[in-house]
Amino acid sequence: MFKIFTIAIREYWAMVATKAFLISIVMMPVLMFGGIFAMKTLTRVGGIQERKILVYDGTGRLFGRLSLEATSQNAVAEAMQEESHSNDGIRKPGGLEQNEKYVLEKVQADLLTNELRLEISEKIESGDYYAFVEIPADIITRKPDITQVQKTGDVARAIPAIEFRSQSSALATARQWFQIKITNAIRDIRLKDLEIDPLKVTQASQPVLVRGLGLFELDQEGNVKESREEDNVLTAIFMPFGVMMLMFMVIFLAAQPALESVLEEKSQKIAEVLLGSANPFQLMIGKLLGVVGGSLTVFSVYISGIVYFASSQNYEIPFQILPWFIVFQVLGVFFFAAMFMAVGASVNQLKEAQSMLLPIWMLMMSPMMVWFIIIRDPNGSIATGMSLFPPATPTALMLRMATGQTIPIWQPLVGLILMVISTLLVVHIASRIFRVGILWQGKTPSVRELVRWAFSNQ
Amino acid sequence: MENAIELSSVSKRFGKQIAVDDLNLQVPSGAIYGFIGPNGSGKTTTLRMILRIIQPDSGEVRVLGKSEGKTADDELGYLPEERGMYKRMKVRQLLIYFARLKGMRNCKSEVDRWLEKLGAAEWSNKKIEMLSKGMAQKIQFISAIVARPRLVILDEPFSGLDPVNMEVLRDAVFELRNYGTTIIFSTHDMDMAQQMCDTIFMIFRGKKVLDGTLDEIQSSFPANRVKVTLSDPEKEFPGIPEIKDLTRDRNDFEFEMIHPDRKQAILQRIASQVAIDRFEVIRPTLHEIFIRIAKPDIGNGKGQSVDAGQIQRRNYLEGGK
Repeated sequence: MFKIFTIAIREYWAMVATKAFLISIVMMPVLMFGGIFAMKTLTRVGGIQERKILVYDGTGRLFGRLSLEATSQNAVAEAMQEESHSNDGIRKPGGLEQNEKYVLEKVQADLLTNELRLEISEKIESGDYYAFVEIPADIITRKPDITQVQKTGDVARAIPAIEFRSQSSALATARQWFQIKITNAIRDIRLKDLEIDPLKVTQASQPVLVRGLGLFELDQEGNVKESREEDNVLTAIFMPFGVMMLMFMVIFLAAQPALESVLEEKSQKIAEVLLGSANPFQLMIGKLLGVVGGSLTVFSVYISGIVYFASSQNYEIPFQILPWFIVFQVLGVFFFAAMFMAVGASVNQLKEAQSMLLPIWMLMMSPMMVWFIIIRDPNGSIATGMSLFPPATPTALMLRMATGQTIPIWQPLVGLILMVISTLLVVHIASRIFRVGILWQGKTPSVRELVRWAFSNQ
Repeated sequence: MENAIELSSVSKRFGKQIAVDDLNLQVPSGAIYGFIGPNGSGKTTTLRMILRIIQPDSGEVRVLGKSEGKTADDELGYLPEERGMYKRMKVRQLLIYFARLKGMRNCKSEVDRWLEKLGAAEWSNKKIEMLSKGMAQKIQFISAIVARPRLVILDEPFSGLDPVNMEVLRDAVFELRNYGTTIIFSTHDMDMAQQMCDTIFMIFRGKKVLDGTLDEIQSSFPANRVKVTLSDPEKEFPGIPEIKDLTRDRNDFEFEMIHPDRKQAILQRIASQVAIDRFEVIRPTLHEIFIRIAKPDIGNGKGQSVDAGQIQRRNYLEGGK
């Protein structure tokens, strides 16, 4: 036992006290979640963009209204910019168009010819203008082209359209702005033409909200308690996703160093010295305990970060799943680190390990491939199946539990039992491969040879 | 005295290859026992069985009184031929780790004592990757003996060392012996084996071919080489049919007698033709004995076999003791 702990302690420090470990503990969440926040931040970094847009208003009734809309849009954008410089960095929700100001200019021509269109296009290309909007004269009265729909089935093309031209129309935020503003403006004009008060229509068509809430439950004093509000879709998605990624990271960050450490012992011929002092099983268990310790360290670092962040944002953390998380984390690390170590013992270089690791990676990532299906239906057949398939059990079960939906209690229990059995089996087989492999200096063994190592009595 | 190691009819095969074949060996406690043998002769396999890294297919391996176990005895220290240390660990940290792996809980003072003794104290906080080859060798040596083992296996402990460091390590080995430590000393350096070992054991093709003191081994081989010094350096060596492999170094000549029992007749024939200052029958060195046993096999590369019976006859122990 003393030897196993000696090995475990060395392994723990070898894993934790490296620059690579510190870098990866910081980089993993940055890489995984950073992209989402980076996009929002980056779009604001450039400050407000002023877009000069030429408008040809064939109706003669829309330009004035659009100019007014642009003025108010510009005021909002400026106010937001001011605020983002002065506030504490937490931004109010809002669309991307808040970064754009629009300066609308009327095309001074009664009739639009192709020559004129070309001239305008050239101006856009040279950067004098950002875009050109052409509003057909009959846009207010034009009806959807039913025959077109019947002929082609293409509804989008049948709707009366205004043309927005720029160097990147499809992605232009301004196009979306026009879409909304012109639709509103035309609706109001049509209502006025019908002598209906647009204000009344707005009041009449005031939408109602369908709020997503949890179920009623009994609290500790036996009172009926309304459950927390499922505030928004983002939380509903991010919480399970974050829990799943955390499980993946704590397992991966432990399994990879386990492989590297075995590989070092093998290639640096340390294995023979070690085996002169401890047997392969002690060596393997000691190493596994070491990386489990390392993995729990990663977990405590992340969980403290998460708790701090969540409390500052008033998010509720599902603390009730933490004990399950830790149990499955430990089992998951044993399960995968043992496999990684068996691979490390079988090869001579990290390069050779890659191909052997591929199937193990697939097992590890399998719940991540269907995570969205699982959170949409946490008690569906895919979710249940994944939870009872041991390599996927830790990640899949945590993903489901984090959704807040009630999972039949037999499932985590059966998952746990299956996971314990398969972990013992994997550790047993891996230790047999490890025992032969660690002193093996020849070519990389084939799968058949690995099977022979695992089951022969040599 | 009790034997530190006893091997009784030990065999080990890997697939179709017999690595060790029915080996018997007794290493008495407190001895410096030399293990020699060409590459691939079963030496490392024998050592690994003593270390219990591998188990024999048949026979018994008794080490320090125990014949069972999945791990080498904690009182057994091992310096493998291929050195292995964690590059990123610090010297002292590594030595403490290896000592603890041998079950030695309070090892710090012993680690410091050895670092001091071998002149490595100033390196104790350096990482292994910073060490020179010689220094790394000394650290590896300390790692093998720091837990005060009763039996130490040293596989090529002096390879790559400069004469000064070699002297330091050799003294350390003798000091261990003075404390009663049994030392297995595996080497390809026959001079070193000859100088240091009380007893020498040679394994060849998985079988024991030599086992005894140097004197016993030498006397079991015919002394068939002769050194002759002529009085007159100008004289040529007389032609004699009963000798072969004549070599000359100024007025010193060396040759092999085809029939060693005819040395008197040979001496008389030379003396009758030229004046001689010296006529000496020299005993074969360990190096020569090694070559005589292993060369037919290694030399032509075809694996021409040495007659196993002949090896048995040469080995006085196999039939005798």
